[in-house]
Amino acid sequence: MNILDQIGFEQHKEVYSIIGVIIGILILSTVIFYILGKLYPGDQTSELKRRTRSWWIMATIFITATVVHPIISFIAFGLLSFVALRELASISTNMRNEDRGVIIWCYLAIPVQYYLAYIGWFNLFIIFIPVLMFIWIPFILVIRGYTTRISSSMSILPTQLMFTVFSISHLAYLLSLPELPNFNAGGRGLLLYVVFLTEMNDVFQFIWGKLFGRHKIIEKVSPNKTWEGFIGGLISTIFMAYFLRFLTPFTAMESWFVGAIVGFAGFIGDIIVSAVKRDIGIKDTGSAIPGHGGILDRVDSLAITAPVFFYLVYNLHYA
Amino acid sequence: MIKKFTLRVIYLGAMRFFLKLIVGVKYINKRVVKEQKQFILVGNHNSHLDAMALMASLNWRQLPNTHPIAAADYFGGTGIKARISKFLINAILIKRSKDEAGEKPLDQMSKALSEGKSLILFPEGSRGEPEKMQEFHKGIGVLLTMHPHIPYIPVYISGLGKVLPKGERLLVPFDAYVTFGEASWVKSKEVASIVQEVHSEIIQLKDNFDKQYKPKKKDHA
Repeated sequence: MNILDQIGFEQHKEVYSIIGVIIGILILSTVIFYILGKLYPGDQTSELKRRTRSWWIMATIFITATVVHPIISFIAFGLLSFVALRELASISTNMRNEDRGVIIWCYLAIPVQYYLAYIGWFNLFIIFIPVLMFIWIPFILVIRGYTTRISSSMSILPTQLMFTVFSISHLAYLLSLPELPNFNAGGRGLLLYVVFLTEMNDVFQFIWGKLFGRHKIIEKVSPNKTWEGFIGGLISTIFMAYFLRFLTPFTAMESWFVGAIVGFAGFIGDIIVSAVKRDIGIKDTGSAIPGHGGILDRVDSLAITAPVFFYLVYNLHYA
Repeated sequence: MIKKFTLRVIYLGAMRFFLKLIVGVKYINKRVVKEQKQFILVGNHNSHLDAMALMASLNWRQLPNTHPIAAADYFGGTGIKARISKFLINAILIKRSKDEAGEKPLDQMSKALSEGKSLILFPEGSRGEPEKMQEFHKGIGVLLTMHPHIPYIPVYISGLGKVLPKGERLLVPFDAYVTFGEASWVKSKEVASIVQEVHSEIIQLKDNFDKQYKPKKKDHA
């Protein structure tokens, strides 16, 4: 038995070759951003550097999970949801002090949701948060009996749960999708595909915007976003979706369509988080102090692309 | 020996993991502590977790030699409680009430400092209302006049009062920040002005922190 057989190289050739590509791109972008950072020190290049750092972490987890055991991915995504939810709950100014005890229920929903994803109980997985927790949280709020501003808590808590837990857990569920005939990359391929497209869409929107950005797209929410960046990013993402479609069961036509949807969904996620931050008056991402959360800024586009992509691929090929 | 070992295992392993990953404690400017051999950490007090969060920021050499100061009437109430706080938090228990016979609280702290130990002090005394600062007791001033060669490090702790406020039993994870100021040595010999100085340095840390992190409602112009 050689090592290639052991890790199933033949069966998952696509996944392993894309791991090679990812490591290559990571090294390249790390070097480029390092040089850019030396040439033009400033907020925006350090934002790119932070981005590459989080990609390295993601790539490490992904590769470990591929080689060792898939459960590592479920735990890692669960933690990601937890940290994102904690961050959102911590910065929310609309939360009441009495809601402490209810937020615990939101945290407890995370292991349940990811366990459902792990065992692949699809029907419960898709209703657990949008139906059961949607009822349970207002119920607990009512039982505790503080009715002042209760309607605001009733809407904030389930929404936070949807945004940080329900949506991101779809990335994990990709790994529990059944095998399809004539499609070898499997859930891991799909996971790589959507994460890669989403991250690259962000970067390309940024680069196109820097190069050609003239017309502001939604100035009051996000002054750096331009039509040129948005459309350039969208087109780049459609092309990447087409060329990487060997990771997916998509036909060429489907991959154009999916690329466009992912590009648009990523933009939506980005501006939703921007708007929320603007509302509570939190500083922009380029906060000077290291270690400052910022997980939300990392997962904003993924939180929208993940469920959208999941239901696209599910209804096109698994339903 | 066993105590030192347990402390290190708890704080460098489990506690640090728990505070950083589960509770969400983030340290800002942590290097200040690492640079000093002996120090007095002076912080605002909102939660039982404050002392633990500060202990978890120390390195393995400093850990067994650093003692949070806790009130004996609160933590020493029952035998078990006193033992736990002595063993697990490495606390020095002092008596708050003045009329009691025996060692004076300040002598206890001063003795520890003379032995080369470091202290963690919360001059507000009690934890008070969540995320609100109270007046400082003057003990910190007296200690610093007695030991002017030992630096004090002001610390501003934010968010832990939300994680585990006074009177609550349920711990709820929220992002919390521990901001260290620069180490400084007292110049004045007057107790009141030293207390004032330390207090204003912590307020300064709080203001800087709020400017950077605290969400503020602002009008959309």
